[in-house]
Amino acid sequence: MQRKYAAAGAGLLVLMLLAATMPAAVLGASSATTSAPHQITVSFLQAALIAIGYYLANSPWLFGLAFFTLYRPLVAGFFVGLILGDPAQGTLIGAAINIPYLGFISAGGNLPADAGFAGWVGTTVALASGIDATKAIPIAFGLGLLGTIIFYSRMAVDSVFAHWADARAEKADIAGVALMNWLPGQAFLFVVSFVPVFLLALNGPSAVQDALNALPLWTVNGLVIAGGILPAIGIALNMRFIFRGSAIPYFFIGFILMTVTHGSVSLVVIAAIGLCLAYLHLNFVSRDAPLAAAQAAESTAAPVQAQEPKVRLTRGDLIRSWALWTFFAHANYSYERLQGTGFAHAMTPIIKRLYTTPDEIRDALKRHLVFFNTEPNFGNVVHGTVIAMEEQRANGAAIDDDAINSVKSGLMGPMAGIGDTLSQSTITPILLALGIGIAGGTASGSAVPTLSGATGNPLGAIIYMVLVSIVIVAIGYTAWMQGYSRGRSFVTEILKSGTIDRVLIGAGVLGNMVLGALAATFVVVNLAPTVTIAGAQMNLQASIIDPLFPGALALGLVVMTWWLLQRRVNPLALLAIYLVFAIVSAYPFFGPGQANSGDYSYGACTSSLLHQYTPCGAPPAPTAQP
Amino acid sequence: MSLRLVRIDDRLIHGQVVAVWLRALGAQRIVIVDDASARDEFLREVLTLAAPQGVPVEVHDVASGAVRCIELATTPEPVIVLARSPRTILALRQAGVPIEVVDVGGMGGGPGRKRLHKTISISPDELRELRELEQLGTRVEIQIVADDRPIPFRSLDSGN
Repeated sequence: MQRKYAAAGAGLLVLMLLAATMPAAVLGASSATTSAPHQITVSFLQAALIAIGYYLANSPWLFGLAFFTLYRPLVAGFFVGLILGDPAQGTLIGAAINIPYLGFISAGGNLPADAGFAGWVGTTVALASGIDATKAIPIAFGLGLLGTIIFYSRMAVDSVFAHWADARAEKADIAGVALMNWLPGQAFLFVVSFVPVFLLALNGPSAVQDALNALPLWTVNGLVIAGGILPAIGIALNMRFIFRGSAIPYFFIGFILMTVTHGSVSLVVIAAIGLCLAYLHLNFVSRDAPLAAAQAAESTAAPVQAQEPKVRLTRGDLIRSWALWTFFAHANYSYERLQGTGFAHAMTPIIKRLYTTPDEIRDALKRHLVFFNTEPNFGNVVHGTVIAMEEQRANGAAIDDDAINSVKSGLMGPMAGIGDTLSQSTITPILLALGIGIAGGTASGSAVPTLSGATGNPLGAIIYMVLVSIVIVAIGYTAWMQGYSRGRSFVTEILKSGTIDRVLIGAGVLGNMVLGALAATFVVVNLAPTVTIAGAQMNLQASIIDPLFPGALALGLVVMTWWLLQRRVNPLALLAIYLVFAIVSAYPFFGPGQANSGDYSYGACTSSLLHQYTPCGAPPAPTAQP
Repeated sequence: MSLRLVRIDDRLIHGQVVAVWLRALGAQRIVIVDDASARDEFLREVLTLAAPQGVPVEVHDVASGAVRCIELATTPEPVIVLARSPRTILALRQAGVPIEVVDVGGMGGGPGRKRLHKTISISPDELRELRELEQLGTRVEIQIVADDRPIPFRSLDSGN
């Protein structure tokens, strides 16, 4: 027991040390970012710290919050920036890399891409080789697909350790079961996480730099264009969850607000407007939300026990059990049992208190080592309910294994459905979008807000981390304790009251606003060709589209992508198509132009189909606001 | 044919179903066929409340589920059918429910269960039942979420 907490403490210490170096680094960064992109040689120590960071992002040591914080490219970018001495640029790159993962969901042991790997390695490579945030997006996305190998190897190997836990349970060895849930799984995870990230951090930047130098210039321009197009997929993936019904207009309001102000309005302001609109929407527009008082749920609480109970759980037992779960739910995540060993681990303080004979302990351990999986925060209702049942059973109530199993297996799915909807597809993406918007900053002056000339803002990562941690822990703790004290009646009451629906509808309004604003900043489609109308040379983008509806093509692209995803087009196939299209669109079709002449300068025109950053003919983006 | 997805999943409704499949298919109704859940008033209630608003959930036992599925198969409304085990699907098929493809989406591991693919483990009885389904002309595919490529059960069934 002590060792576990010591190890947890060590993990937190590393994080706090990193945080302690922050103010100095942030101050130092403000001068660093004004200079041109520079290359950084990653030292051994820096590569090791980055590799440890990636391990921590998948580890249990951050109170179960790693998946919501360090795992996200926005946060990873900030920490990589700290380690490499440029947190502002790191946060900006992390924010850009995060966009394709806005609609990222990992449910039931299924991982579409490793966003953490993309964030940690992608930011390192981009920052160290001095390439800009937009170009980092396609490179990091490739890395993210590669990273899933780590996750899937771990899921397979952890099944073995679940059997080691079984063997300890057979001997009624409570501490042994707990140990098997974290030690072997984490040792394995550390090795498979640390080694590849360490090597890539050390050698990746120069390899990427060499590759980019070897490519013809127009293909490199194509990568930049891809960086403006690929975010449409991430945003559209997220739209699948919230872009529907009467919430749809708010997406367009967010987008237009951002473009008409040329990106000079902060995303915090947009979010504040979104909150006001969400309130109005809930009270005056939405007919989906039951406004009437909650239908009184019938109390199905367990009958009050007549006799004085023999053993009682203390509040300390409950909190210890909750803390163990919050830390170690995914410490030994395996294909065979998913969170099964984590559940048993969390039950150890309960079993210790309630049962005394080896037979009882063995049976209880085995009872909770079986396959289990739920959303680890809202789903804590299940644990609370099960703990209450165990307590009644220990006091002689006629509750058999079947009764406990049926509550676990019956509730874990539905609670995961609601929990994932709340945490993974509503709360996290909205807070992330907010953080990314703050982190990405904006550069005013062009017709549409763009990333060019933007200075990263580490506050975006920090605000996101703090907000998401508070919300997630609050949900987890409340669900656990309410599940214990009110059990089944809490489940039916909260479901019937319509509270969750109201939260989801309100969040949908806010989410659409923020997402629309984000699309306006990060999705960039600029037509390069010039036409001659009435003798005057007019650039299609700067002279025709932008005066009419700034960002119309970007908006069209996002909506089209959403439409395609709704029709079950595979997002990975879409990604490949967009990437190829972006690179081809950079080819100098219409004569040599300036496309092959080092055309990175903003505002210069090319003879290609699409043009990066700013429209042809527009004045170069001025330096970002102070 | 509006039984858009007939899925075997021992957790019935959960994140993959609600957050991924429901959206991907645009399904408007979930039909759960499970004797144990149909018997238990509390579970029935939780399941019906677990889907997003506007998506009604029906919980049936095998007998009434078969009748309901046959009825729904002829309507244009897109429906997701969920069952815990291959046995239930086999019973539905034998009762005349037109099931072209059954999706194996989640079957947890445990004693006596062999891992077939990722989070799919299987007992000898279930293996037999899936083979029987294939013999009846229902294709058995493993596809955990909508964006995965479906894997034919046949290709994983080593035949022992």
